[in-house]
Amino acid sequence: RYSSMKDYLSELDKETKKALETFYGFSEGKSKVRRSVDEWNSTGSDFFKHIPLLKFEDFSKTATDLRSGQKRKIEGSVFHKDSSIVNSGDSNDIIGFQLCDANNSSECALYTFSSGVNAIQEWYKLHYMNIMAQIPLETKEKLSYSADDLLLTCFFDGLSCDKRHFTRFHHPLHGNCYTFNSGENGTILSTSTGGSEYGLQVVLYIDEADYNPFLVTSTGAKIIVHDQNEYPFIEDIGTEIETAAATSIGMHFTRSRKLSKPYSDCTETGADIPVENLYNKSYSLQICLHSCFQKAMVDSCGCAQYAQPLPAGAEYCNYKKNPNWMYCYYRLHEKFVKEQLGCQQICKDACSFKEWALTTSIAQWPSTVSEDWMLRVLSWDKGQKINKKLNKTDLANLMVFYKDLNERFISENPANTLVILLSNFGGQLGLWMSCSVVCVIEIVEVFFIDSLSIVMRRQWQKAKKWWNDRKRDRSGKPPQAGDLERQGHDNPVCIDEDLPTFNTALHLPLPQDNPLPRTPPPNYSTLRLETAFTEQLPDTLEVGQH
Amino acid sequence: EEEKKEGLIEFYDSFKDMFEFFCKNTTIHGTIRLVCSDSNRMKTAFWTLLLLASFGMLYWQFALMFSQYWAYPVVLTMSIHSEPKMFPAITICNLDPYRFELVSEHLVQLDQMAEESITFLYGINTSASLFHMNEKNIHVKDLSSIGNLSRSSFKLSQNFSLLRMPDHSNRSGKKDSSVGFRLCNATGGNCFYKTYSSGMDAILEWYRFHYMNIMSQLPVIINVSDHEEQIEDMVYSCQYDGEPCRPSDYVHFHHPVFGSCYTFNSKGTDPFWTATKPGVPYGLSLILRAEQKDHIPLLSTVAGVKVMIHNHNQTPFLEHEGFDIRPGIETTISIQQDEVNRLGGNYGKCTMDGNDVNVKLLYNNSYTLQVLSEWLAEAPAYSECGCGYYYYPLPPGAEYCNYNKQPAWGHCFYQLYNRLRNHHLNCFDQCPKPCRESLYKVSAGTAKWPSAKSQDWIRQALRHQNGYNSTSNRNDIAKVTIFYQQLNYQSVNESPLLSENLLLSSMGSQWSLWFGSSVLSVVEMFELLIDTLVLCLLFCYQRFRSKKTLKVTHTPTVPS
Repeated sequence: RYSSMKDYLSELDKETKKALETFYGFSEGKSKVRRSVDEWNSTGSDFFKHIPLLKFEDFSKTATDLRSGQKRKIEGSVFHKDSSIVNSGDSNDIIGFQLCDANNSSECALYTFSSGVNAIQEWYKLHYMNIMAQIPLETKEKLSYSADDLLLTCFFDGLSCDKRHFTRFHHPLHGNCYTFNSGENGTILSTSTGGSEYGLQVVLYIDEADYNPFLVTSTGAKIIVHDQNEYPFIEDIGTEIETAAATSIGMHFTRSRKLSKPYSDCTETGADIPVENLYNKSYSLQICLHSCFQKAMVDSCGCAQYAQPLPAGAEYCNYKKNPNWMYCYYRLHEKFVKEQLGCQQICKDACSFKEWALTTSIAQWPSTVSEDWMLRVLSWDKGQKINKKLNKTDLANLMVFYKDLNERFISENPANTLVILLSNFGGQLGLWMSCSVVCVIEIVEVFFIDSLSIVMRRQWQKAKKWWNDRKRDRSGKPPQAGDLERQGHDNPVCIDEDLPTFNTALHLPLPQDNPLPRTPPPNYSTLRLETAFTEQLPDTLEVGQH
Repeated sequence: EEEKKEGLIEFYDSFKDMFEFFCKNTTIHGTIRLVCSDSNRMKTAFWTLLLLASFGMLYWQFALMFSQYWAYPVVLTMSIHSEPKMFPAITICNLDPYRFELVSEHLVQLDQMAEESITFLYGINTSASLFHMNEKNIHVKDLSSIGNLSRSSFKLSQNFSLLRMPDHSNRSGKKDSSVGFRLCNATGGNCFYKTYSSGMDAILEWYRFHYMNIMSQLPVIINVSDHEEQIEDMVYSCQYDGEPCRPSDYVHFHHPVFGSCYTFNSKGTDPFWTATKPGVPYGLSLILRAEQKDHIPLLSTVAGVKVMIHNHNQTPFLEHEGFDIRPGIETTISIQQDEVNRLGGNYGKCTMDGNDVNVKLLYNNSYTLQVLSEWLAEAPAYSECGCGYYYYPLPPGAEYCNYNKQPAWGHCFYQLYNRLRNHHLNCFDQCPKPCRESLYKVSAGTAKWPSAKSQDWIRQALRHQNGYNSTSNRNDIAKVTIFYQQLNYQSVNESPLLSENLLLSSMGSQWSLWFGSSVLSVVEMFELLIDTLVLCLLFCYQRFRSKKTLKVTHTPTVPS
């Protein structure tokens, strides 16, 4: 609200107007600005006595040093030349401002703009932030529009709604913003069908006369559709709506979900990102980038930039405390844009996000016939607070609704799960080798475990033999035949209980090759005896029973 | 006896035999290890464990696979098609509901009532001329006899007057008030106030309530072709693909709020409307009248034209997807088509033509989700209040709500409103989606039209040709061009992620991975099971027999 901000901004505005006057002459037209400039000119000399109170005075003074009087030049030299609007060269085409390092005045950066409009707006914004940073939040909220001021009517899903359904939050540049259905009081409203009749319909009061002429040059309102726990980046992705028109915004809802690691490099909650989330909302890439920049700003410039929330223990930059901040900010911003700060590398995409695709269309509103009664009724509703009849250019009608209640949900699924991998593996093994896990283990058993054990056994035998030889050598006795005999297959250590596999059969001589000395040689008589025994068997059995 | 049995069926002597035989001869890998490494206990144990483990793994994998299969996942395949196709149906409405002559008397009364209410509530004397625009009324020729009947019977009710109520729920500091009207049930009891925080909303809703009652006396089917209003009054120029539109190409209907509407190419069968090329020159270009003088200023407060792009044979829900066109502006709308094909069946509920939905559809056009959801709003209202809401089509044999006949319907309807919301919400579970859906993505650009220089001759030309008779400088014409951005359309098709074939093949793969076996091995396992059972029975039988014989042999020996 410009009118209530006047106390804070008057000096800056006067300075801006002065600069405009000196650059462009302002001879054409009899704008409102022109008139106030004239006003100021008459009291100009008084005003200059108060200059030292505010620091931004000297920029425009040095700015105009090419042109206007020496009086300002002198004052400009009193202060360090921090920043100035420079009308460089002879031509009026290029306008910009110079930012210098306060500690080292030789280091300066000159920012030029092809259009004077951009230059002045940017310059104004810088100083605006300076001033705003010194005002406490509560005061600012009071200075800005209240919900009562802004909302004339509210209608949602066929039912009347009012300012209690809106939650205020303060935006550094846009002032007070109001969020409908923010879910802050615990309930989230839902809409039962699509269509403009069932969406949110509001009539906004936009006081065009009360606009800041330098900060914002367009009239209307900005809206953004976002999730309850998403931070609305109004200046980045807001949609503008016009006055004296009915803007209908139809929405299509899309929800996307990506798979996090190892499928893609995204983050679920942002907890794994080494950047502190300064916004009290759920993680998004935008939030991360802004937080990262703010952190870098606090680290290198010693104060926080005004457009973003404050990190713990820091305070907003203002000219009195941090004379160097503008130069620092611009340097840092340049680095940020060139991706030298590393923010873009640190910050990752969020894995899930919601998106509302908006279709905006505008109709004439109010129609000439209904204009009369409607303006009267609305003026009455607005009450005695403003004693003027509303004009239709002060009003904007906004309808936000779902076109249909279909939701598009895009989600990623892994193409190969463990099940599929295993079954592919099995399929290939089965197809080419008719083999299974069991047969793989068999192969492992035979080629590694069994053959290893055989090799080990041989080594062991050799070592034992060598040991025995050495012992015998030491004792001086010649090796005995019996000892040698027992080392072979008689040795109980070496008896292979396992059935010989193909490989072991190849490696090992069978024990049948040298028969055990204990077993008696086959005898014919025993064979005969056996036959006789089988004949007698039933008798012995009977005897045994008795 | 035993020999005889063995002759018939060769059978194992013991469980051990059977098991060994199974292990040696089965096609399952690894079982042979149980037998041949018999002498090494450790190895046997190891192999038993291994077999059990892979058995477990197999069934775990099977469980995962089946749970995935029974979730019926789908894969979306996106493809770009390009083929010649028809231009979509275009519906335009002039946002200017007109007065039927039949009810114009009542409407004038209603306007007067509204005026009185506004004066009463706000103390403003709205200029009387505002509400008495003596413009032409729409006359329905053939129906005057019916009209005379209803004209005499209908009377505007004074029971529902707008009132101002102090809002007590608010903080005492500020003096807030709300405006509303009172609704009572048939006996006059159980009254409640329908209130609005803003007077504008209250007046609009109140007016709409009365308007519906008045309109309910109109016959259900208005033969639109008999109307005096012609398409030429609204569409000054129509060109498609560089050629003038054919005069018979449109369908006319009247929407209670959006006024008279025309649908171009509603059937989509005329080859004239084939889209041959993308781009502005080959699209549909219309010059429209966008009258700013509403005939009923309390019903619709916006001026302009509403355009909707939709499928052929689809009911246009203008309040859902309508696109506003401003007067004095040229709007260029580019469209792009998306198509969605759903599988249906187990993969998600969807319906081909809405025949299998268990509610009768009131719109005799192709099925969309909106149609059904509108019906679900209408049905309870109809069954409970006994009459149909004017905005929706009527069920057969029903009539529109009218407080002369059903004095309590307003009470009933607004009471129902909150419950209706739940009905809508139920719809997401109940209503099947259409299996085949076309969506049109719309993007628009605007420019001022006509330009200051061309304004004069354009107006001259229109005046000459179409009887355009506006002399004022105000913009009351609009131009709109609708064209295909590209003739390719994106089609999104669902296909099953796991078909039966795929399921079987991955089951086979798992089997072969863990056991190196096939279905036949499973049969072998079953055989083993059956054999075990049979053997058990046999042994039981044998034991029983042997006990018997033992008893027999024992009894004679005991006395000796």
